[in-house]
Amino acid sequence: MIVCSNCQHDNLTGAMFCAECGASFAGVHSLIKQSLGPEKYQSVSKKPSDDPSQKFRGGETWGSLHLVDTGQILPLSQRNEFTMGRTSESHPSRPDIDFSPYQGYDAGVSRMHAVIKRDGDRIILMDLGSSNGTYWNGTRLSPNVEQIIHHRDMVALGKMKIQIMIENY
Amino acid sequence: MPSRKPDYYEILGVFRDAPLEDIKRAYLDSAQRLHPDKNVAAGETELFLEIQLAYEVLSNPKRRNLYDATLPAEIEESSVIKHEVSFSRTNLVQLNEPQLVYALLEVGPRDQKEKLSSAPLNICLILDRSTSMQGDKLDFVKATAIHLLRNLRPEDVLSVVAFSDHAEVIVPAALNLEKKKHEGSIQMMQASGATEIYKGLRAGIKEIRRTLDPSRVNHIILLTDGQTYGDEKACLKLAEDAAAQHIGITAMGIGHEWNDVFLDALAGKTGGSSAYISKPSDIERLLTDKFKALARSFADEVLLEYKRQEHIRINYGFRLQPEGGFIEVESPIHLGPILQGTALHILFEFLVSPQALDGDVLKLLDGSLKTSIMARPRPVPPIRLKLTLGIKQNPSEEEPPSRILNALSHLNLYRMQERAQAAVEADQFDVAARYLQNLATHLLSQGELSLSKTALFEAKHLETKHTWSLAGHKDIKYSTRALLLSGDKEKAE
Repeated sequence: MIVCSNCQHDNLTGAMFCAECGASFAGVHSLIKQSLGPEKYQSVSKKPSDDPSQKFRGGETWGSLHLVDTGQILPLSQRNEFTMGRTSESHPSRPDIDFSPYQGYDAGVSRMHAVIKRDGDRIILMDLGSSNGTYWNGTRLSPNVEQIIHHRDMVALGKMKIQIMIENY
Repeated sequence: MPSRKPDYYEILGVFRDAPLEDIKRAYLDSAQRLHPDKNVAAGETELFLEIQLAYEVLSNPKRRNLYDATLPAEIEESSVIKHEVSFSRTNLVQLNEPQLVYALLEVGPRDQKEKLSSAPLNICLILDRSTSMQGDKLDFVKATAIHLLRNLRPEDVLSVVAFSDHAEVIVPAALNLEKKKHEGSIQMMQASGATEIYKGLRAGIKEIRRTLDPSRVNHIILLTDGQTYGDEKACLKLAEDAAAQHIGITAMGIGHEWNDVFLDALAGKTGGSSAYISKPSDIERLLTDKFKALARSFADEVLLEYKRQEHIRINYGFRLQPEGGFIEVESPIHLGPILQGTALHILFEFLVSPQALDGDVLKLLDGSLKTSIMARPRPVPPIRLKLTLGIKQNPSEEEPPSRILNALSHLNLYRMQERAQAAVEADQFDVAARYLQNLATHLLSQGELSLSKTALFEAKHLETKHTWSLAGHKDIKYSTRALLLSGDKEKAE
């Protein structure tokens, strides 16, 4: 049985979309293991010291995204460029950082919302033409224009607030 | 491979374990097609002698046994047709409750580059000329019919039948027509009377049979704008008979008063589907496109025969391309045609009961695919289609293949519309409205702004007026169906 996280409808095991509301169950096994649900978020937020480097052993972590509303920390490691967005049933292609488990849809995160990259010492943020905009310290960025950002800057993808933490800033 | 001995089974297009009656039927089919009295094409007389010999050997149990002993091992792979199956999950899970699994079946030519000459057409247009067709609709229909007649290739046959509460042949099925005269007959058509599809269909099938030929694309295009009353069952029976003779049916509905469920069922019997023409000015484009598609036929039909497996049910079947359409899942299933350059894609939903989960492996489907290719004088050997999945304790972590995910996400929209319609039929208008609101949300997230608005509008209409708006349901149904196709094209590019 798969219980739809959107409408609580009971679906048969193996269903790919909710028979009631049409929500996608793609990748739902992994989501269940991450225990999606508001009550679980709070328990996560109580331990913000969660060491991100442990999850990505062997990779160099150069920064992290702190989700302000849920307290989650997403490490930036092993590569220099990350696309941010959310998965969607209509597009099998996936952003490097997927905000759908963190209610990215409700927050208005586009499928391919923005990109964050490291270029030498500079950290660059760029909006990818998202519907609800990318904000940097309260200013909306023009799409496809690179913006240099710094440690502790506040970024918002739609309503998804993120504090940028950079190692060795 | 000149040194290889001829494989009599391949020549007749039957499996090696085929019972005598199958061999007999296959022989009769081929013999009819290749009879020297009928064919003048070079080499076909030799083919006829070959099948003659093959039948003589295989129909005699003693000679068949002797022959079988000399055969090399069976080659499972077809040299003409290629098929591929992908599943939504890599394995089933040992569970005490029913579970679903999806399979995507793709059937296409083995050699993509092989350009078969396009088969000659044998098409019958069955045109509704009831009173309601008066004006724009009939004018566009006439103009299109004349246009198609003028642009016919010399080898093609186009017959035209008009019907209201009776039917008449406007252009008979024949080669080398005097086109000018028949253009006049089309021009003279007048709108009057009621709509009785059975009468038109019967006359059309009679016409198409005059020039019926397995080496042609035999196809009926029915155009109507209204409901037929009381003769639906008889029509479906006619369509079944047509399918048995490899006559395909496409049904096109103009405006919003025709019965889409009935026309879907009618065309579905032959592996065809229904199309929606929302305004008369679209008649020419849609009809011409249909003609072009028919001229691109690679195989006019793929037939899936299967034995029911206990505790497993095919819940749902849908053709994603070349033409989106619901398919009936009772064996034999008419899956539809393969076009040159466009393979056939079918999605199945299987419902597996816990009782079926006995052992490590489950056979979901055991059947065979039969294909008929017009441009090939020899029958195509059937392909065995066995779908099996492993049974494990835990669900697989693997992501479903993107082609399935893609197909299902579009089908999801179509099915939400279906659920809304089912709710309307059950007088549950609030439920239907909720489905439509959900549909609107998903449409919006996929960038289908105007269709999303239509869905919201219909949701409101259902809530307040307890009925669809005039064009509402057909707009949503056929637009979500069209999304299935566009989704697939994106993928192909």
